[in-house]
Amino acid sequence: MGRPPVISTAGLTKHYGTVHALTDLTVDVGEGVTGLVGANGAGKSTLIKILLGLLEPTGGQASVLGHDIEHQGQEIRRLVGYMPEHDCLPPDVSASDFVVHMARMSGLGASAARERSADVLRHVGLDEERYRPMGGYSTGMKQRAKLAQALAHDPRLVFLDEPTNGLDPAARTDMLRLVERIGSDFGIAVLVTSHLLGELEQVSDHVIVLDGGHLLRSSATGEFTQRTGSLLVEVVGTETERDRLGEALAQRGLSCRPRGAMVAIDPPPPELAEGGAAQDLIRDVAAELGLGLMRLQPDRRHLEDVFLEGGTRA
Amino acid sequence: MPDHSPSGAGRPGIIHDLGYRRFDGVREGSGAIARTLFATGLRHAYGLGRSGKSKVMPFLLLAMSLLPAAIVVGVVVLTGLDELPVSYADYTNQTQLLVSLFAAAQAPVLFSRDLRHRSIVLYLARPLGATALALVRWLSLTVAVFVFTAVPTAVLFAGAMLAGLDKSDQATSMLKAVTLQVLLAMLVAGLSGLISSVSLRRGFAVVGSVMALIVLTGVVTVMQNIAYFEGDSEAVSTGVGLVSPWSLYTGLANAWDAGIETPVPVDGAWVPAYVIVAALIAAGCLLGLVARFRKVGSL
Repeated sequence: MGRPPVISTAGLTKHYGTVHALTDLTVDVGEGVTGLVGANGAGKSTLIKILLGLLEPTGGQASVLGHDIEHQGQEIRRLVGYMPEHDCLPPDVSASDFVVHMARMSGLGASAARERSADVLRHVGLDEERYRPMGGYSTGMKQRAKLAQALAHDPRLVFLDEPTNGLDPAARTDMLRLVERIGSDFGIAVLVTSHLLGELEQVSDHVIVLDGGHLLRSSATGEFTQRTGSLLVEVVGTETERDRLGEALAQRGLSCRPRGAMVAIDPPPPELAEGGAAQDLIRDVAAELGLGLMRLQPDRRHLEDVFLEGGTRA
Repeated sequence: MPDHSPSGAGRPGIIHDLGYRRFDGVREGSGAIARTLFATGLRHAYGLGRSGKSKVMPFLLLAMSLLPAAIVVGVVVLTGLDELPVSYADYTNQTQLLVSLFAAAQAPVLFSRDLRHRSIVLYLARPLGATALALVRWLSLTVAVFVFTAVPTAVLFAGAMLAGLDKSDQATSMLKAVTLQVLLAMLVAGLSGLISSVSLRRGFAVVGSVMALIVLTGVVTVMQNIAYFEGDSEAVSTGVGLVSPWSLYTGLANAWDAGIETPVPVDGAWVPAYVIVAALIAAGCLLGLVARFRKVGSL
C-alpha cells in the first residue's frame, strides 16, 4: 500500500495501576475493514478510546488519519465516527432527532444534518421506526441507530465496538454485511472489534489479534486463512465408511486422520502433490470401495488457529 | 440498486437509489458547534424540542411566576400608584420557590440525561471536549434560569413605564435587579447542575437540588432571624447568609440598595465577603462539573 496508514501506533501502552490494558502495541491500520479481535479485556475498547483521545496512554505514540492523538484530538474527532459497545441512546428521543443532533455536534449545518441523517438512517435500515422514541427499540434497532450516529457526519474512519453484540443470527448477518459495505461501497475505513473470530473472517480485509493487551498478530485476512495444503474428504455414510476410506488411503501412502465426519489428509508427499494427483487418487480409492464421494476440498486455516499458535508460543 | 431506465421517458416515478453520498460541504468549527449545543440546551430546559409533557412543568412555573407581576402591573396602571409595590430584585426574591423549583426540575434534563444514558460518550467522541461540554451545559441552564427571572422583571418594567413612573429611577433599579439575577442564575445553575450530574436518578437529583436551594435557604433565613432578634448577634446573622445562594442574592441586593430588606443590613467588609463567596461558589460548581464530565468521559 502506497497510501499512508489510517491508524499508526508505536509502543502504545496503557496501564491502570497494576492492570496492563495495552502493552507496547505497534501496529498500522490501512483502508478498508480491519478487524480487531480479542477476548473480553484484551484491550480492544481501551485502544479505541485512546485513539479517540478519550483516554491518555501511559506511553507510546499514535496517529489517526495523520493527526497525532496527543495534540490533535479535536481534529481526529472531527473526522472519525464512534459506535460504542454499551448502550448510549437516550430513550425519550427519536432516532431521527438524535442523529440530526449528533450530526450537528460534529459540525454539520442544520439542513445538511437533516439530509445526511435521513440518508444514513435509510442505509442502516431504520425506516418508519426512526420517528419513534428509541426507548422502545429492539437491540437490533438500537445497534442500527448507534451505527447511524457514527456515520452521520460522513467520517473518514469509523470505530465500531462490538456492533454485533446481542444480535440474533439474522440481524448479525445484516450488521456484518453493513460493516462490509461501509468499508467497500461507502469508502470509509472501518476498525471493527469482536470477540468472535468467525465474524471478522467474513468481512475484514485485515485482522489484528490482541491478547491480554499484547499484539498477537496483524496481517491480511487472506494470510490467516491461507490454504494449508491439507485436504478434507467426506463420504456418504457413517463412521464405518469414513474409517474404511481412511485406512485405504493410508495404504496408498497418504497420512490421514479422522476429523468429525470427515477425513483430514495431511499435505501429500511430493510425488502426489503435482497436478491434483492426490485428488485423483482419492477419487479412485472411493470408487474402488464403492463409497459415494460427498466432499473433497482444500483445508483452510481459521482465525482460531492463531490463538492456538499464540498460546503454544507463549 | 441503481435503476437505469432505457430512455427515461414513459416511466414516471422511478426511485433511484443514489447509493452512499459523501458530504463535502462546510464543517463548522468548535465555536459554532458550541453555539448549537447551547441553543439546544436552552430550548430543552423549557421543554422545547422535547415531548409535549416536558413543556408542562417549565411553562407552568413560568406562568405562576408571571401571574403576580401581571396583577401588580394591573394595579399600578389602574390606581396610578407612584411606585411599584415591590422592587424588581425583591420580586425575584419573593418568587424564589418557583425559581428554585424550575432549576431543580430542569437541571437533570441538561446534566443527568447524557450521563445516565451514557450518550455523553457520543458527545466526547466529537470535537467538543469534556470541559467545553460542561461549560456550555452550565451556560444553557444559567441563561434558562436568568430568563425565568428576567421575564417577570421585564413585565414589571413595562408596567412601570405604562403607568408613567420615573424612567431613570425605574431603569436603575431594574438594571441592578438584572445584574443580581445574572449572579443568582450562575449560582443556582451551578449548584443544581452539579447535584444533577452526580445523582443521576432524576428523582434524587430533584430532591438534592430542592434541599440545596429551598430547604437550605429556609434554614438560613430562620437562623438569620433568630440570630438577630433572639441572640442580638448581627455578625452571626449576616455571616450565616454566606451559606445559601438566595441569602447571598438578598444580602448583595441589600448592600447595593436594590430594594430588599435583610434582618441585618449587609455593609462594610461583609459586601466584599459576599461577592467573593458568591464567586467562589460559582467557580467551585464549574470546576466540579468539569471534573465530573471528564471522569465520566474516560470510563
